Amino acid sequence: MFGGLREKLKAARDRLGGSIEAAAARAEPVEETVPAAAAPATQPVSDPGPATATTAPASPSFVQKVKTLIIERELIVSEKDLDDALSELEMTLLESDVALPATDAIIGSVEKNLVGRHRKIGESVDDLVVHALKTALLDVLGNGFDLREYITKHDRPVKILFTGVNGTGKTTTVAKIGAYLKKEGFTVVIGAGDTYRAGAIEQIAVHAERIGIRVIQHQEGADPSAVLFDAVEYARSHKIDVVLADTAGRFHNKANLMSQLEKIKRVMKPDLVVYVDEAVAGNDAVTRAFEFDKTVGADAVVLTKADMDSRGGAAISIAHTIGKPLMFLGVGQAYEDILPFEPAKVVDELLDGGA
Amino acid sequence: MLDGLSTSLKDALKKLAGKTVVDKAAVDELVKDLQRALISSDVNVKLVMELSKAIRTRSLEEEPPKGMNVREHVLRIVYQELVRLVWASTEVRLEPQTILMAGLQGSGKTTTTAKLARYFQKKGMKVGVICADTFRPGAFDQISTLCAKINVPCFGNAQEKDALKLTREGLASLKEQELIIVDTQGRHALEADLIREIIDLNVLTKATHRWLVIDAALGQQASEQARRFHEAIGIDGVIITKMDGTAKGGGAMSAVAETKSGIAFIGSGETIEDLERFDPDGFISRLLGMGDLKALVERANETLTPDDVDVNAMMKGKFTLRDMYKQLEALNKMGPLKQIMGMLPLGNMQLPEGVYDVTSTKMVRYRIIMDSMNPAELDEPSLINSSRMQRIAHGAGATPDEVRELLKYYKMMQRTLKGLKGSGGGKFNMQRLMKRFSGMQ
Repeated sequence: MFGGLREKLKAARDRLGGSIEAAAARAEPVEETVPAAAAPATQPVSDPGPATATTAPASPSFVQKVKTLIIERELIVSEKDLDDALSELEMTLLESDVALPATDAIIGSVEKNLVGRHRKIGESVDDLVVHALKTALLDVLGNGFDLREYITKHDRPVKILFTGVNGTGKTTTVAKIGAYLKKEGFTVVIGAGDTYRAGAIEQIAVHAERIGIRVIQHQEGADPSAVLFDAVEYARSHKIDVVLADTAGRFHNKANLMSQLEKIKRVMKPDLVVYVDEAVAGNDAVTRAFEFDKTVGADAVVLTKADMDSRGGAAISIAHTIGKPLMFLGVGQAYEDILPFEPAKVVDELLDGGA
Repeated sequence: MLDGLSTSLKDALKKLAGKTVVDKAAVDELVKDLQRALISSDVNVKLVMELSKAIRTRSLEEEPPKGMNVREHVLRIVYQELVRLVWASTEVRLEPQTILMAGLQGSGKTTTTAKLARYFQKKGMKVGVICADTFRPGAFDQISTLCAKINVPCFGNAQEKDALKLTREGLASLKEQELIIVDTQGRHALEADLIREIIDLNVLTKATHRWLVIDAALGQQASEQARRFHEAIGIDGVIITKMDGTAKGGGAMSAVAETKSGIAFIGSGETIEDLERFDPDGFISRLLGMGDLKALVERANETLTPDDVDVNAMMKGKFTLRDMYKQLEALNKMGPLKQIMGMLPLGNMQLPEGVYDVTSTKMVRYRIIMDSMNPAELDEPSLINSSRMQRIAHGAGATPDEVRELLKYYKMMQRTLKGLKGSGGGKFNMQRLMKRFSGMQ
């Protein structure tokens, strides 16, 4: 994942660098005339003698030196210089599934960072652009979320509730995180809270059996709050470290299903609400992340199916919308196909990969 | 469904309608608005660029036909180009056939398989389902539970790991059935061995149709995935699922453009009945707020007796409490009000959000209250004064406030329906415009 985005960003970056260089080249001749024009005005201050007028270019006065430093050696980037390159960057982001509002925000931030910016002598154009992009992306992606550390520091059992729309991979993610935590040495119990979809309880039960985790389940059609409450009670009485609560997929625009989720939250009092969405989702990722965050909150995000998409724009969209850290990436069908997400590393990889 | 895209498209068109002169700048602005609207609906960026270029050149270069002003001309071009994007509708014949389902993980193949089985069963065919998903735990439980609900035979074996063997046995055991749907495991285009498996399945089943199931929320990746699936097995129809969320299905539209197939069905709900045939004209009309009466009538014919709802009377703008009562009764059968309203040609009219806020429990209350009214009151709701209100409330075990609320809701509905009929949009009447378009294509 992110491989495709990296290549595209590299191209956009070269383009940005290019247009700044071009602006610099254009600016050069203009700047040469500036000191000359300014010279008569400064001369009375520095030295009234006519001799200085002829020697000025050879050995400039202090004031002129300062002037050259400011005007000649620094480059002021204007909005116009960036227009083309920025619209290309915009297209790149859009093509990578970064939703429109998030794209606007990133472009805005890069532009703000570059326009009117003075480039210093030692600073290369590339550095400037990389820095602006990096700031913008890190701004959006925020910090990662270390689940291990959270569980270690927190009172047991740590109750984690998984939410999300239909078919994003909540049940599979619950199983993967269960396997991950078990490997990390925690004890885990799973609550089969998806009592709606046919076969969902069987699905999580088979997963749990394979990874050797106990599942608390009721029959299909039962009240999910009750199932998850039982799971929490079980964990409490058996001194289990973590409760993973699966829920049925639901759309954020179905009021009754969302209030069911609120009830679940009231009953089981989760320590963490994890919002699960897929890496291939487009602009809707923004809408639903926002709605879920608004109704039941979200403390962290898991992005599934990241192996389908090398671009991963949804990560940026969701992070931008709800400002919550991305905890894991799901990258395949096996239990070990889950990666903790470290934004600084990803952004570094994105931008330094091609440099 | 489609609200966001619809609103932004309508806004873009409204802006154009408000312009006194339609010149290059106006067209440019329209194109830019359209681009944003389409991109934020996940239509493939390259496709959007092609589309907007076509709209731009055609608007500026083509002479408007006689009797049509520049504004209508531009709108017509927008409409035509959008329809072209999703032009073909896949033909669905009611004859013996085999359908192979393909799609990404979690796109809704299994649910859609059951819905399709139900669809063909309702049309009077003998349907059988093979569960060739040998990977996901619980997949067979899921499809067999769903099939048992509608009495459709379902072949599968949770223990078997070989999808090909399973399918071969399934075909043999279901050969009595006229129509066989093969549900497969979710896969994406980068999983080479799974792609090989579906190629083998396609060869084995000699499938008449190979339908690609696509989540309405799928983004830019849709084109690429569709292309790979198309290369592997030759997709001849796309089913968009989860249209009941807020996703706009632009990814699926791009997939259609990529596979040069058509959209066969749209899934828009969690129950087994929530599957609609797709009609591109209607889809775009709905998108632009021009209504899709055909779908409405089809839906009504399928689920309602003529007594249930008199669509014609409603369209004429005559709408009494009696109609509303029938409507509430029919509502459960027809589906949510919002979905129905989406099919009506509301033009650029803004619907008050409150219309949809009435929840089903409230609907039941309303019916009880109306049960306490006499025929005169039902026909002429303006008769209801405060003393009648007292009586009704008393009879229904409700408060006068609830009765007042019901009347308020009625008035809102009535106003809405009146708007359908009249030239609500003033000089910019979408409905009239639509009529002209359909005559000219």
